[in-house]
Amino acid sequence: MNPQHRLDVLRGVTPPRPHDARAIAALAANPGCARRALMDGAGVDKDAAARHLGFPAPFGQSPFAITRGNVFEALVKADGCAELLRMLRELLGLPVAEVAYHDVENVGAHLRHAHTRTLIDRAARDEHDAGTLYDHPLLSLEIAGHTAYLEPDVVAFQLGGRFHIVEIKSFAVIDGQADPSAVAAAARQAAVYVLALRTLLEELGHDPLKVSHDVVLVCPENFANRPVASLVDVRRQLAVLRRQLTRMSALDRLLEGLPDDLTFDLRPDDDGRPTRPVAELADALRRTTARYAPDCLSTCDMCFFCRDEARQEGASDLLGRQVRDELGGVASVAEALGLADGTRDPAAGQEEIARLLRNAERLRKECLT
Amino acid sequence: MSLLTSLARLRALDEGIAQPIATVRHCHLADRPMVFIPLKLSGEAAAPLAAMLGADRDRPRLLVVAQPRNRDLRFAWAAELAGVLLPYVEGFLRDTETVERRNADPYERAIDAPQILVPNRAGVAFVRLLGRSMRFRRADGPYPVPESVPLLGRWLTYFAERAAYPGSSLMPAMTEELGRHWASGQSGLEDANLAALLAWITTGPSDDAEDPLIWPPAGPATDPGFDAEVLAPAMESGSAERVTEALRTQLEPSWRLMWQAIDLLAGLEEGAGVASRWEQDRGSFSGMAAHVAEGAPPQPRRDGAVAAAARLARMERAQAAYDAQRAYDDPLVMAEHRLTGEAFAGEVVDTDPGNTEGEGRSRKLRPLVVIKTDDPVRLSPGTSLGTPQRRAQGAELVSAGEGLVTVKITKGMGRGRTAAPGAVPEIGERVCYTSLTDDFQGSPALPDAEATPWTHGGPPREYVPDDEDAQEEWS
Amino acid sequence: MSDRLDDLERRIDELRAGVRTAMRARDGARARVLRAELRGAERAWDALVSGERPVKEEPPRLVTVREQVHQGLRLLGAAAQPRLIVAVSAAFFGGTISSSRLTSLRRDEERSFRSSPFGRPYYLCAALTDRLSPARGLLTLSAWPLERRVVGPLSPRVDFLTCAIAVAEQETGDERADRLLVRMARNIPGAADGTLGPPHRGRVIEAARAELRVHADRDTRDRAELAQRAVAQLDDAARLFGAATLGTIKKEYAT
Repeated sequence: MNPQHRLDVLRGVTPPRPHDARAIAALAANPGCARRALMDGAGVDKDAAARHLGFPAPFGQSPFAITRGNVFEALVKADGCAELLRMLRELLGLPVAEVAYHDVENVGAHLRHAHTRTLIDRAARDEHDAGTLYDHPLLSLEIAGHTAYLEPDVVAFQLGGRFHIVEIKSFAVIDGQADPSAVAAAARQAAVYVLALRTLLEELGHDPLKVSHDVVLVCPENFANRPVASLVDVRRQLAVLRRQLTRMSALDRLLEGLPDDLTFDLRPDDDGRPTRPVAELADALRRTTARYAPDCLSTCDMCFFCRDEARQEGASDLLGRQVRDELGGVASVAEALGLADGTRDPAAGQEEIARLLRNAERLRKECLT
Repeated sequence: MSLLTSLARLRALDEGIAQPIATVRHCHLADRPMVFIPLKLSGEAAAPLAAMLGADRDRPRLLVVAQPRNRDLRFAWAAELAGVLLPYVEGFLRDTETVERRNADPYERAIDAPQILVPNRAGVAFVRLLGRSMRFRRADGPYPVPESVPLLGRWLTYFAERAAYPGSSLMPAMTEELGRHWASGQSGLEDANLAALLAWITTGPSDDAEDPLIWPPAGPATDPGFDAEVLAPAMESGSAERVTEALRTQLEPSWRLMWQAIDLLAGLEEGAGVASRWEQDRGSFSGMAAHVAEGAPPQPRRDGAVAAAARLARMERAQAAYDAQRAYDDPLVMAEHRLTGEAFAGEVVDTDPGNTEGEGRSRKLRPLVVIKTDDPVRLSPGTSLGTPQRRAQGAELVSAGEGLVTVKITKGMGRGRTAAPGAVPEIGERVCYTSLTDDFQGSPALPDAEATPWTHGGPPREYVPDDEDAQEEWS
Repeated sequence: MSDRLDDLERRIDELRAGVRTAMRARDGARARVLRAELRGAERAWDALVSGERPVKEEPPRLVTVREQVHQGLRLLGAAAQPRLIVAVSAAFFGGTISSSRLTSLRRDEERSFRSSPFGRPYYLCAALTDRLSPARGLLTLSAWPLERRVVGPLSPRVDFLTCAIAVAEQETGDERADRLLVRMARNIPGAADGTLGPPHRGRVIEAARAELRVHADRDTRDRAELAQRAVAQLDDAARLFGAATLGTIKKEYAT
């Protein structure tokens, strides 16, 4: 059975869930997790699966945050992207004559992708005829055999003959500083667009490096709505992303050793309600290995399910990477405690950590009694 | 995190209840702390939504911005907040003591200082942003705000900055403070949830703690489900009462948790070094108050190069001092250093109280003590040592091996030909020695601000807030 | 009364929890039923606590939304987004419209035109893209020549500069007008003088004209070509409100 067919079996009867840039970026967050790689590779709706298992994901987006994001994006793009042009002129020295604006969304939704291709091809072919700003472009990327459609905020051209991805985010830059985790997430997401645009250029027979690895990040400055732009180098994020996508295309290795008929199907009824017995689905999922870490709590829909599993297994992963590193390869809580109170003999290579744990245990006992 | 704490976390996970990692309390707890739980509007940098605050656990004040996007209402909220916080803060300036200083004029130090407790580190960060958004405002000019607002902004900035200072208790983040005293069986990330951490400490882990319907987040971010289902419709209705009541449901549970946490911390005996750190806090607070009274400008947007370097050096020293003090105050903290070999403890098995070094006039009393220890000592001969049992005493490592350590006492045993009574430990006594010291290491040689080298931006221009600062939109 | 309030509050809490639980289970139907009940309970609570139903009074509107938009566009003299029209209307005509009320405007105008063509002195209509389809989020006036109502690649910028000049040419002491001009001037090279006060109007006009000169030739050419195509291919209604997207594309691909 070929790998693509195996993935289809894994997913079951529901159509594959399309990936957006945020989801693709999140793939790179925990590259070692086989469960996630398989579920994403098969296009399983992880959110629905987690819900059905009784472990709905703990995140959601506030309507206030969504509104704020939309309002800010509209402001940056208002009046022919007047604010964006100012920033590109100030930041990247965009020549005054370069103002041509193309709203790709002016064509019907089903033609947006084709129209984007045409426009980008024309721009790459003849710089003199190229537009400067392409609003609402639609790019695509193959993720484990499925096409994901991606919508960067704006693609800018004519900055030194290269395409730049413009990413508009509504988190504030205050006195030159922004929340580092928000910037990192934006960079990961922008890297997905860079990769998609490079892939497109390559398909069209152009030099993919015409897409800059510097993306233009636009955020509100201080407490005003006034946008400010900065360049963010996403080379590292691109490298991580590429590696993860390669891993996903090599899913056959992960599929090895799994039964041919293994499926994460929810067996939805006519109303779309899942009918698969929860225990059966949970068993199927447990056939795959997860690598739970507390970071998953903010990035993966399956996090509560995997955390519960880690608890049942008594895995020291529960306590975070720091503790795990400190324990130097002792993966289970019982094992570590056994080494600490001497009820367990260290395996080969565990002598040093065992000695430390025994010492630590002795000191805690001494101090607490 | 040390291996000792990691072990405590493993034990907590195994036993289903948090484990102590301190035997005494390392933070100051005020007689009349101010609990402050601010909430912000999701998606905005520093749009206040509400705050529950007060120094009386039975009478919390609830301040609400019924329409957070309305600038006038936000500043009205800020003025209300100032009406509660400023009298609390300024109330501590009435009673002062005169402190004499070597090589400097004496100064007035407040006898007690304010303590504002927020739920978590994100709460401190939000206080910092609130301070930043208020301190440059003006009571006159094109975008006037109530006079108390810029003053509150300066104080909030001060408290948030002081919160980053190791060992300061002026604005503790509750989850951090609890986490310094108990190890839960969950990750540090999950410890940032006040309800979850308290559950681990008191009754054991509970899934309820992560259910926002049962325990709403302790801010500053609100639960997105609450925003969508409750808050947005309430705001749309235009009914201020409804918004207020909705936000009360989100804040009241956290209010109770904050006081429960205070009680837990109060149940621990105070560590010996806490008072001296609080004294520093009082001095710092008095300095800030004097600064304000002299009419100095608000804190700049960014530190100059020298100020930043000096600040960093100060923080590093404070961190080292805080680590050392906690170890001296608390055997469980000292145990971490014993584990790494920087400290050892054991029983005195032999002494030579009359041992001397040198001849004639330079002959010095150097009593020897031999200690039997199970600890892995990783100190080389000649290392200076201190001991929690006799804090004024200095010692030096002579030799270590085979579970026996010989130290000689070099300081603090009296000036006579024989050691002062009690200065040399008796055989059979349990003692602990460590290479950690809490010596003030002197400040690094940094140029005055006026002499900032050009590589670091040259001398900073004196910070004068301009109109732009005052007029900055707050949309 | 407070008993009833207590009961209502309890009920409201239950319903809120119920709604959120239902939402989380993705049970939209149940959430809807509960939410409706919740709204009812909240209204009852509001009524009870304030003694009566709050009545929101709208300020009397003397000028219709349609007329306010017309005034705004006449002043600007170029295709503009609702946001800008609303700001202009507020700054110079004491307008009271909000951009959300403009969303259905164009459709209403088209309906009216189709039922009795040219029955009104003016229509608020669409700007036409290079595919002659209605441009998203842009309004124009039927009285304008087609060249002014089509958008080539440079037109959004040209229109913005034209609007900026129009705003700068207005004599007014209104604070909102100053703020609008500051916002526009900041995005035109050489228009803002770096101070915080309202920019010098002459300077804004000068700077905008200078940039206009850079784009004018090509934009005029693009627009003339588009206008010609519109005349050749579109009927009256489509000239005002744009051709259906799919149709134009089919035509284009066929040729």
